[in-house]
Amino acid sequence: MTQILPSHIEMKSIKIENYTAAFGESFTLNNINWTLEPNQHWVITGANGSGKSALSAILAGAGHKVSGSISGLPQHIEIVSFEAQAELIERELKKDDADIMDVISEGTPVREILEEGKALYPEFDSALLDQLVAMFKLEPMLDRSFRKLSTGETRKIMLIRALANNPDLIILDEPFDGLDTASMQLLQSLLKSKIDSIAMVLVLNRFDEIPDFITHIAYTDHGKLQHSVDINNKQAYDDLYQLLHLKTTELSVPATDLSDRPPSLNPKDPLVRLKNIKVAYGDATIIDGLDWTIEAGQHWQLSGPNGSGKTCLLNLITGDHPQCYTNDIFVFGMQRGHGETIWQIKQYIGYVSTALQWEYRVSISLRNVILSGFHDSIGVYTKSTDKQKAVADQWLALLGMKDRANEPYNQLSFGDQRLLLIARAMVKHPTLLILDEPCLGLDDINRQLVLALIEKICTSGDTTVLYVNHHAEDQISGITQFKQLEKLDAQSS
Amino acid sequence: MSNNYFNTLPLREQLAQLAKCRFMSMDEFSDGVEALKGKKIVVIGCGAQGLNQGLNLRDSGLDVSYTLRAAAIAEKRQSWKNATENGFVVGTYEELIPTADVVLNLTPDKQHTPVVNEVMPLMKKGACLSYSHGFNIVEEGMKIREDLTVIMVAPKCPGSEVRAEYVRGFGVPTLIAVHEDNDPKGEGLALAKAYAVGTGGHKAGVLMSSFIAEVKSDLMGEQTILCGMLQTGSLLCFDKMVEEGIDSGYASKLIQYGWETITEALKYGGVTNMLDRLSNPAKIKAFDLAEELKEIMRPLYNKHQDDIIDGTFSRVMMEDWANDDKNLLGWRAETAETAFEKTPAGDVEISEQEFFDNGILMVAMVKAGVELAFETMTAAGIIAESAYYESLHETPLIANTIARKKLYEMNATISDTAEYGCYLYNHACLPLLADFMKGIKTDVIGKGLDTTDTGVDNARLIEVNAALRSHPVEAIGAVLRGHMADMKKIV
Repeated sequence: MTQILPSHIEMKSIKIENYTAAFGESFTLNNINWTLEPNQHWVITGANGSGKSALSAILAGAGHKVSGSISGLPQHIEIVSFEAQAELIERELKKDDADIMDVISEGTPVREILEEGKALYPEFDSALLDQLVAMFKLEPMLDRSFRKLSTGETRKIMLIRALANNPDLIILDEPFDGLDTASMQLLQSLLKSKIDSIAMVLVLNRFDEIPDFITHIAYTDHGKLQHSVDINNKQAYDDLYQLLHLKTTELSVPATDLSDRPPSLNPKDPLVRLKNIKVAYGDATIIDGLDWTIEAGQHWQLSGPNGSGKTCLLNLITGDHPQCYTNDIFVFGMQRGHGETIWQIKQYIGYVSTALQWEYRVSISLRNVILSGFHDSIGVYTKSTDKQKAVADQWLALLGMKDRANEPYNQLSFGDQRLLLIARAMVKHPTLLILDEPCLGLDDINRQLVLALIEKICTSGDTTVLYVNHHAEDQISGITQFKQLEKLDAQSS
Repeated sequence: MSNNYFNTLPLREQLAQLAKCRFMSMDEFSDGVEALKGKKIVVIGCGAQGLNQGLNLRDSGLDVSYTLRAAAIAEKRQSWKNATENGFVVGTYEELIPTADVVLNLTPDKQHTPVVNEVMPLMKKGACLSYSHGFNIVEEGMKIREDLTVIMVAPKCPGSEVRAEYVRGFGVPTLIAVHEDNDPKGEGLALAKAYAVGTGGHKAGVLMSSFIAEVKSDLMGEQTILCGMLQTGSLLCFDKMVEEGIDSGYASKLIQYGWETITEALKYGGVTNMLDRLSNPAKIKAFDLAEELKEIMRPLYNKHQDDIIDGTFSRVMMEDWANDDKNLLGWRAETAETAFEKTPAGDVEISEQEFFDNGILMVAMVKAGVELAFETMTAAGIIAESAYYESLHETPLIANTIARKKLYEMNATISDTAEYGCYLYNHACLPLLADFMKGIKTDVIGKGLDTTDTGVDNARLIEVNAALRSHPVEAIGAVLRGHMADMKKIV
């Protein structure tokens, strides 16, 4: 990435501070804080409706400002967007309407539209204009009416015009949309040749369209600028890639292998019924006299300070705590300690926690980590069905790891490992999905990705979610039941 | 003094028992834990094996409780804490043994005679007594009441691993056997299989063996290659390096962690892979040294095996037991005073590869020991599968204890029986190798070969590689490791 200051302009930093702007009645960009340094070229990305176009457009003065400030905007800004295109077409149509003479107006010829800037901007670059027209093979159209062009052709004309106007800052919203590969490459290389003199902000839906001269990526979500990522930060870039992938894919939880379901449960029974639970280590009592019933379909959030026994309680349910045999515990139709095996219990449970991640230390491929969720094992020791393998691959695709199925799991970053373990927990559509601080240790991007998945699972109908967390902001829509544990004072006998 | 059971058998029967060992197929375990379902299992002893096996069995849906001596309960000893904190019912022998359908004796070997004598009269008619090592039956000639079924289930890994692998959904390789003199209802095998399933062993592979094959191979392995060779090797290599002017801290570290590092390669790919970690000239060097060592040590291995087979070893050791462990404790104190044991590992970085490059002699010793133990065992009629588990398979486990706390930790972790045999071996082997060690220089221990020229003769290299790869321990190792790897690799 070349990072040379523009030679002929004294660019300043563009600072957007605490900026809130309304777009129409239903959309607001909220509290934007964003700084664009002179030598930076940005891509704004995000899901549909996340506000990426709006964010780019506020640089060009769009939106109704509610609060905050923008400073350092350069003199000459060009924007090419769907909205700008619509505006220009609208303007041309009005000209037509204004023509009351009973003659068919030919409208403004393309050449005129292209050269409008000549009179307006001293920096107008005629040579570039000619070059671009030739490049896009538009010479035959120069004398035709702009109004009669196709949408794609209009878009090209707008691009050429904006570039020839030779601005300080150019904003291109989905510039590659509708361009064939050859045109896209032409445009990319052309943009690249101008990076020293024109600051660029591109709005793109697809990561693979990001040109190599881009230095930063802004990621929008729900009208907020969620992430600003330096493209050289490989980890953050990869995370963002996955997040975008998730957000822009029709996010649905892959179906499971229905041939390998555990015995169905009596719908009258609760999934879990704990009565008068007591857990103690030596003289220290962790849980004393707790009752808890989890009905199918009731999603729960469990919280409490460190040491209040959250994980201990979960382990009583999963059968990983040895004192589950000394308590009155009914799970999935089985009263504990009556000849059931832990594998009979685990077949109903999907589980993820930091402890699991520590324990998940085996040489294994990414795909097999997900497959191990069908067998409730750490590592894979049982043959998986073809259907199960297919499901695992769908999960990998969902996580943006499709091409990495055979890579070793232990080489992954902590966050990627966590994502896989979450997929492992969800893969069989468990009757009860236990997520013990699933977002712990995840960065913002991965956290949002995980929360999005959990919300999907909550609405799927198959699975009851038991979600443990410390952080109030990680609220899951769909969870209506809350249980709070308190730390018991250390008791001594 | 007790009667050696093995020696009471006719030769043909002795050979038949020694040769008993079969790798069982997974579908032999399709009945799961059924044979133990609803039966009351009482475990004697709550150490690492006792506790972890019990946790697995309970998680497999079985009814497990612990019995301890009244004093251990009254004083709330560690074994009592282990059992109660894990939510098990704990009671005295008198309270629990009479209710037991199956009694698992998981106490140390040395306590077997008094423990079994105490619990046997309390056991209900037709119950089952299970061992995890057959010394008491085979060497001490313990006679078990005729109505009782006697089986053995021996996971071939430390207790902590028995648990960790089970929790993962897997298990550890396990040896099972039925004492045919005590199988009145013919249910011994079914019980042993169910027990192996209950601990998860069936997933990692089960060897169907005999009490005799287990004892004779276990004793041989532990006193020669596993403990004896590592102890003797540690002392010789350390003294040599110091004598040759190598920093004692470095020497101490190279040995303490070297066994673990080089046997890790052994664990993954057998003797072949361990030697493949060396450069070509170093490999040839190690091969030649190992050949020389094997020649010198073969009579010693033969003697150990002979003494084990004819009962001399256990007789002499039990005399020492009766003599308040005079020899054992004396040798233990002696080991603590050796220069290697007393020199702490130096604060120096040694890379993984350096342990191989500078420890050529150690590699040669492991190779010689593994192959000799294997060859001697199989020559004595023990089947290759048994011999493999009792030599190559367990060497990394023992090496790991040395890495933790040197010879002290090794001798503290292993049974008194293994420790006694280890000292016997060590005392015989040190003088045996004295001449050989005179010719040893720092190129094979401490500094590594001069690496300016790594050229070797093609023909010689081919010969060495072929010899390495065609050794019978490699053939059976490939099969057994392959089975484990298959299990882990299955998609």
